[in-house]
Amino acid sequence: MADAQTKQAAQDGLVPVTVLTGYLGAGKTTLLNRILSEQHGKKYAVVINEFGELGVDNDLVVDTDEEVFEMNNGCICCTVRGDLIRIVGGLMKRRDKFDGIIIETTGLANPAPVAQTFFVDDTVRAKTRLDAVITVVDAKHLPQRLEDSHEAADQIAFADVIVLNKTDLVTADELAAVEAKIRKINKFARIHHAQKANVPISELLNQGAFDLARVLVDKPDFLENDEHEHNDDVVSMSFEAEKPIDPERFNAWIGSLLAEKGQDLLRTKGILSYVGDDRRFAFQAVHMIADGDFIGPWKAGEPRTSRIVFIGRDLNRPQLRRGFESCQVA
Amino acid sequence: MSQVVSADQILDTRGVQRELGAFVVAAAFDRTGFACAFALGDGSVRIAPPGDSEWASVAAHDGAALALAAGAVGRSWVSGGDDGRFVVINADGAASEIAGFGMKWVEKVAAHADAKAGRLACAVGKLVHVFDAAGKRLKTLEHPSSVTGLVFDAKGKRIAASHYNGASVWFVGSSSDTPRVLEWKGSHTGIAISPDGDCVVTAMQENSLHGWRLSDNQHMRMTGYPSKTEALGFTKNGKWLASSGADAVVLWPFHGGGPMGKPPIELAGGDGVNCSTIAVHPSHEAVAAGFADGLVVMADINSARILPVMGPGRGSITALAWSPDGTHLAVGTETGFAAVVDFSKR
Repeated sequence: MADAQTKQAAQDGLVPVTVLTGYLGAGKTTLLNRILSEQHGKKYAVVINEFGELGVDNDLVVDTDEEVFEMNNGCICCTVRGDLIRIVGGLMKRRDKFDGIIIETTGLANPAPVAQTFFVDDTVRAKTRLDAVITVVDAKHLPQRLEDSHEAADQIAFADVIVLNKTDLVTADELAAVEAKIRKINKFARIHHAQKANVPISELLNQGAFDLARVLVDKPDFLENDEHEHNDDVVSMSFEAEKPIDPERFNAWIGSLLAEKGQDLLRTKGILSYVGDDRRFAFQAVHMIADGDFIGPWKAGEPRTSRIVFIGRDLNRPQLRRGFESCQVA
Repeated sequence: MSQVVSADQILDTRGVQRELGAFVVAAAFDRTGFACAFALGDGSVRIAPPGDSEWASVAAHDGAALALAAGAVGRSWVSGGDDGRFVVINADGAASEIAGFGMKWVEKVAAHADAKAGRLACAVGKLVHVFDAAGKRLKTLEHPSSVTGLVFDAKGKRIAASHYNGASVWFVGSSSDTPRVLEWKGSHTGIAISPDGDCVVTAMQENSLHGWRLSDNQHMRMTGYPSKTEALGFTKNGKWLASSGADAVVLWPFHGGGPMGKPPIELAGGDGVNCSTIAVHPSHEAVAAGFADGLVVMADINSARILPVMGPGRGSITALAWSPDGTHLAVGTETGFAAVVDFSKR
């Protein structure tokens, strides 16, 4: 099913965009060099802001200053990368089309503005699609990073794919511990163990990961308790509903939830079975900015279970569960 | 037998047309109105001489051309590209680099014609570089964030740049480089100055326009667009501000106390297709408008009469430009179609 959806995404004519995040020294540039030097016969435009270390010159490299601005719409967490809007617009004028665009963020960057850019700007939406957020983390230093910065947790929370790099520098026990830390923040991303960022390019680019296929495919286990996280840690939660969802109830609930809790909700994703519709409805949000559309039909005989995933801070599990369950038809 | 007049009638009878094979980024006539240039997404600049003779192709940029304007003097243009080059092009096909900026894109260019003190300018990231007509660099103006729009006033005394949280207006000849900063929160993505130099208007990411009247610090908000305004410009007499970004040409009255408290007039609308670009006529109260389906019309503002110039079907209109005397209109589309239409009396 993942393959079918990836193909579907590739056929829509939109240029896939991969966002590459990670703390300083985690191995982002090594991974980027690996992607660009691999003989894949594809052409990528690469948007960077720390020029100098990149050792490849056969692809188009665009040097930019990360310019985040607040949308003037009264929503304080609605921030967008204006430089990306201009760059994507410029790239679309070139005659040679790209197989993809790779955007590298600075080490301390919050990934939200990059992701939100792909929701907010009509021109960008018309020509590109956000394929996946890839976060590179350093197996040895991640625990320390999580202690001393918000951004390290945010970058993991936003990831569709996590490259757990430098595994050769830690023991098996340390590796298991760091992986557990990642899973506590984001239990839905795919994790690749790596040394010197040696992950096959086929596992990174053109994944269709952001388009939600993964929410259904990679079902994590559901052994969860109902404790309310009171601290500042980023956690992820998911809920299921067996009965069909009433679109009006869902919209009313999610609308008010995002308005009230949007700042704490880093990412929200869902696949919904709307009452009376044979197609799956895909919903996603970054903070308060939400987007939704029908994707392919449910398979014959497949249980039409609606699922929703929240990744964020200070989430009240029982309240979210009751809210989602109340969206089912009576 | 009833005769159906084709929407392409004016193009067919009065136009010279070409398929150029690459996204038409911008079009501009030179100062003398001799020839029209088209800057393309393949980096070339094509020059359409008078009549229907062959169009020259100038390899101006290695990548995509991003901006084009008439040069400061004679039969010339200036262009910017994603190869980081700011280039001057002559009608004979000669091109030379004024300045190179490496990895940075030259996203906006502007020029002011003057026999003695012609000026050229380009925006590269946060910097605006100002040159004399011969290409000698005079000064560099720094802004708080990337420059998204660049325009000289009608006299060439000031240059205005849009950026995050407002715009900056600089005196070109001043020895002290301090701009007048016009503040308004948000991302401003394009700019225009009224012919009398008193009003600066920007397009915004939030599908609206924002204006400042310099003489009394009056703010002007112009909202209600369903999409972003890509092109805006004042009529020659300064009475109207024409803009794209809706399914009609939106014209705000800058007279009789407006635009505050006055609704705009909307021309050539009604079929739900977005107006993608406009070009205000250089002398009359008229505006040419291009739409996302490829339709081009000319609209007379006072009579509200609409004249179809080119029918839909050749790609979204991305470039429109009038010759200085207003007799010729250049048209370009995202699929690489280009035309020059002659409106002069026959």
